[in-house]
Amino acid sequence: MRRRDFLIGSAALGLAGCSRTAAPRPRAPVNITRAAAYSQGIYDTMRRVLAGHRLNVRGRRVLLKPNLVEFEPGSAINTHPMLVHATLEAFRALGASVAIAEGPGHRRSTLDLADAAGYFQTIPGFEDVFTDLNLDEVSRVRLPQPVSHLRALYLPHTVLSSDLLVSMPKMKTHHWTGATLSMKNLFGIVPGGVYGWPKNVLHWAGIHESIADLHSLFPNHFAIVDGIVGMDGNGPIQGRPKPAGVIVSGHDPVAVDATCCRIMQIEPSRIGYLTLAGGLEGIAEKNIQQIGERPDSVETRFELIMGLRELRRVRS
Amino acid sequence: MDGGALENIRAAQNPDGGWPYRKGGSWTEPTVYALLAHQAARTAVPRSAEALAWLDAAQRRDGGWTPRRSVDQSTWVTALAALLPPEAIGAARLARAVEWLLGESGMESSPVLRLSAFLRDGKLPDGPGVSGWPWFPGTAAWVTPTCLGILALKKCYWRRPSTDLRERIDQARTFLLSRRCADGGWNHGSARALGYNSDSYPETTGQALLALAGTDAAPLEESFRLAQRFLREQRSSGGAAWLRLGLLAHQQNPAGAPLFTMPCRTVPDTALTLLAAAAEQGYNVFLD
Repeated sequence: MRRRDFLIGSAALGLAGCSRTAAPRPRAPVNITRAAAYSQGIYDTMRRVLAGHRLNVRGRRVLLKPNLVEFEPGSAINTHPMLVHATLEAFRALGASVAIAEGPGHRRSTLDLADAAGYFQTIPGFEDVFTDLNLDEVSRVRLPQPVSHLRALYLPHTVLSSDLLVSMPKMKTHHWTGATLSMKNLFGIVPGGVYGWPKNVLHWAGIHESIADLHSLFPNHFAIVDGIVGMDGNGPIQGRPKPAGVIVSGHDPVAVDATCCRIMQIEPSRIGYLTLAGGLEGIAEKNIQQIGERPDSVETRFELIMGLRELRRVRS
Repeated sequence: MDGGALENIRAAQNPDGGWPYRKGGSWTEPTVYALLAHQAARTAVPRSAEALAWLDAAQRRDGGWTPRRSVDQSTWVTALAALLPPEAIGAARLARAVEWLLGESGMESSPVLRLSAFLRDGKLPDGPGVSGWPWFPGTAAWVTPTCLGILALKKCYWRRPSTDLRERIDQARTFLLSRRCADGGWNHGSARALGYNSDSYPETTGQALLALAGTDAAPLEESFRLAQRFLREQRSSGGAAWLRLGLLAHQQNPAGAPLFTMPCRTVPDTALTLLAAAAEQGYNVFLD
């Protein structure tokens, strides 16, 4: 093992050591912001969102990790490029050095996919700030307390060397996990160049368990969920566009994702990876501080496929 | 053939002899494709000794290839390396790679999992002995690594026929045909999931057609039509190259825009486009 590998592994281990908590800890606040459309107003909105979280990122390396899945610019599959650009500009305004990276799960030509999804057109100099995480340099990182069958993962240096990983998923239903949000979006940091397309090793190790394990390596990543137009039905690929008109953000991915579920009228305590990572108390509504809109004020019914209807949130 | 494309590949070669995907460290996949592109162009590989030494060092003791030297695991790239001619990588190394491939299969075909599926569903999944290849050991078989496995073993079979090779190729072809989607193309994995038809993709459809070269073309007519439609709508050079290679393997004339009209953004995409161009000229390195 080279010294660099050791340092990267040790850093990940250190991060992970403070992640999985037996007792609930105070959750960082979650901000629900209304945003009706992908318009120029998003640029101001994202500056206000980041200001609200009081992020200190001056001189830090911030890595935006959107969700890029398919070659469909008009669909609701990918994180919208305008939201990613607005976030990049907002972090730059705070003095951060910002890059974008993604490792799609099943389409191999990432740059072609980003081009078709409108990223080249929307984000000036996109190719200069973008890294394909499927093909990045990798190091082996041990999982300290895995709940999946995994014991270690090869992970990209671009992610391991960032100071703040910002997960930017689309708010979507998912036919295997119920909902795909900021935590599931971390599947995209697992390199296809090592594990293939899709990253089937994560499925065999247990999808919910793998999500929880990835979260344990990056427990303090920042989350910004694109719920302006999400996807419901047979997501994450074959579903229908579902306008929810919100951006959900926060420093605690478990709290952000549990809040998104409530907005989607999905019961978070029935999402396996949320209970694994946060515990029932940790994802309870009373334990998550909301600093923007209340979840019930922006609730939008995301339709679920037949096999997932038991996930529907029922109000008492 | 576009000489500029080959020059681009040459310019991307790393000092260690291997090739990166775009820039950075060397990986097995782009290194193999770069070598195949030179083979298709019938041109000498620059610094060939270093290139082959890099590839030698990426072969592991178990006979398989690692995707890059910092990864301690043999994977699907073994099939790619086994596409290279024995005079390039050495007959003994190739034989070990074939042994690795013959010993590897998707986990869903393991006896324990088949028994548990039988107990759960009351029937065996996909009939007995249907076996493709996974991307990564210990996981399920998928279309792309299965196609590459078939192509690699076919080359070995033509050089030295054996029952083992024949049976495994037939099993893998059966696997591929069982995974064909309702529209005639191929998804990465199953044709259906959770009651919904899976979408087909250009890359996997082209790869499957290439791997099914030599089979009866009549049942593939719908697949040809879909491949032609994908070609007309092409969105990536890699996808277009695989489609052309697949169609040409069945003597189908590819539609769509000419080669090199789409940007080639990685070494494999550039190399695949060159391989498709060579196939249009009558030399398909995957099949000849």
